[in-house]
Amino acid sequence: MLNRIFFYPFIRIDKDRSGSISGNELQQALSNGTWTPFNPETVRLMIGMFDRDRSGTISFQEFQQLWKFVTDWQNCFRTYDRDNSGTIDKNELKTALTGFGYRLSDRFFDILLVKFDRQGRGTIAFDDFVQCCVVMQTLTSAFRAYDTDQDGVIQIGYEQFLTLVFNLKS
Amino acid sequence: MSLSKQYGVSIKTQVKSCSNGRDVDVITLIGVMVSSPGGYGAPPPQQGPGAPLSYSQAPPPNRGQIYGQPPPQQQYGQPPPQQQYGQPPPQGYQPQGYQQPPASYGQPGGYQQGAYGGGAPPQGGGYGPPGGYGAPAPPPGVSQELWNWFQAVDQDRSGKITAIELRQALMNGNSTPFNEETCRLMVGMFDKSKDGTIDIHEFAALWKYVQDWKGCFERFDTDRSGNIDAQELGNAFRTFGYNLSPQFSDSVIRVFDRRGMRTINFDDFIQACVMLKTLTDKFRVKDTQQRGVINIGYEEFLEMVLDNTIMAVK
Repeated sequence: MLNRIFFYPFIRIDKDRSGSISGNELQQALSNGTWTPFNPETVRLMIGMFDRDRSGTISFQEFQQLWKFVTDWQNCFRTYDRDNSGTIDKNELKTALTGFGYRLSDRFFDILLVKFDRQGRGTIAFDDFVQCCVVMQTLTSAFRAYDTDQDGVIQIGYEQFLTLVFNLKS
Repeated sequence: MSLSKQYGVSIKTQVKSCSNGRDVDVITLIGVMVSSPGGYGAPPPQQGPGAPLSYSQAPPPNRGQIYGQPPPQQQYGQPPPQQQYGQPPPQGYQPQGYQQPPASYGQPGGYQQGAYGGGAPPQGGGYGPPGGYGAPAPPPGVSQELWNWFQAVDQDRSGKITAIELRQALMNGNSTPFNEETCRLMVGMFDKSKDGTIDIHEFAALWKYVQDWKGCFERFDTDRSGNIDAQELGNAFRTFGYNLSPQFSDSVIRVFDRRGMRTINFDDFIQACVMLKTLTDKFRVKDTQQRGVINIGYEEFLEMVLDNTIMAVK
């Protein structure tokens, strides 16, 4: 059954009418509110998350979930962008991640900001925010898998560590 | 004997001569990555490559064992100790491997081998042969040849190469384009000015780097298939001095295997080796007692791996 709400954006985004959405098509369709191209890594992350049949593209079925993901994140981003600037600063990022349940030091937020601030403005745009959150989620669950006693410290061997990092998947 | 000796010697030579910039060997290749500016924040290679320095440090007694290799000298990414080479090298090694004169490394001659780096720009449709632009003379200190390559890659003639332009210029042996991640990785490593692009001088270093990796890749691609399977990858890791199980090589192949052929391409090979090196260095920093096992807290862990995620690589 075709869902009308999703049908419209899908055909609009699927520029070549191939019936599925490529990374490029998705990137062009998404806006981060700053007139710069949408973060390609975020696009790849999202395709990786929703491309269930591993075709490298997003089918109409897959698209419904992807689009919901994007709009959910947009709403989330807006709630944390208190000053409606279209980007979030360190404090807003801190509020957001703390709100998600992360317990991180102030210093670590500086690290995150440096890592995900693609435009070098000291703030994080929507696309970078999504990337940041997905990466944090992935790394945290990888860590948690080892932290069986939940004390926030893990013991890990050299090869285990390498294997873990090489196999990180969102 | 000769082989092992040769190789042992060549590592030594390399460590010694690194400061004067000659004799690039596999190990330097990895050393360069670490000490290269952009990516990892280490000092540029000329100023005393981080890696060789640390190789030459005398290890504390008793720190071996863990990684399984008898002599304690080098556990992780370092050149394995000499006597290891006394063992018969894995089959298929000798001919192509170490006896190859290092001629192609680090010498200007290397640039003439257009095949390095895929050769897309000159032959590729539309680009025209290098030099076909009737372009202005190269800036001082840059060879005409390199300048031609640079201009072929710099499609918009901006004088700067982006990761995207670089990607269009590089090809794997099987004519697939380089993966974006590897291109970004390399631009990040050589972009000294931190503007996200590569100028002609940065390009010279990058180009040489790609060639060196190409030579390295060919050494380990012992069956000349143009890609590397788990066993060849295991040999490469072992030669670099890593002591890792066959299961690990297998899992790396699985991660990067884009065509379901149980092999990886040149670009992914670079990426895997760079990742392995950075992660090993980070692990080693935490592994102060050299036990091969570390205890790390959540935030420390995040910090260690934040820059090394290749999620959704396929």
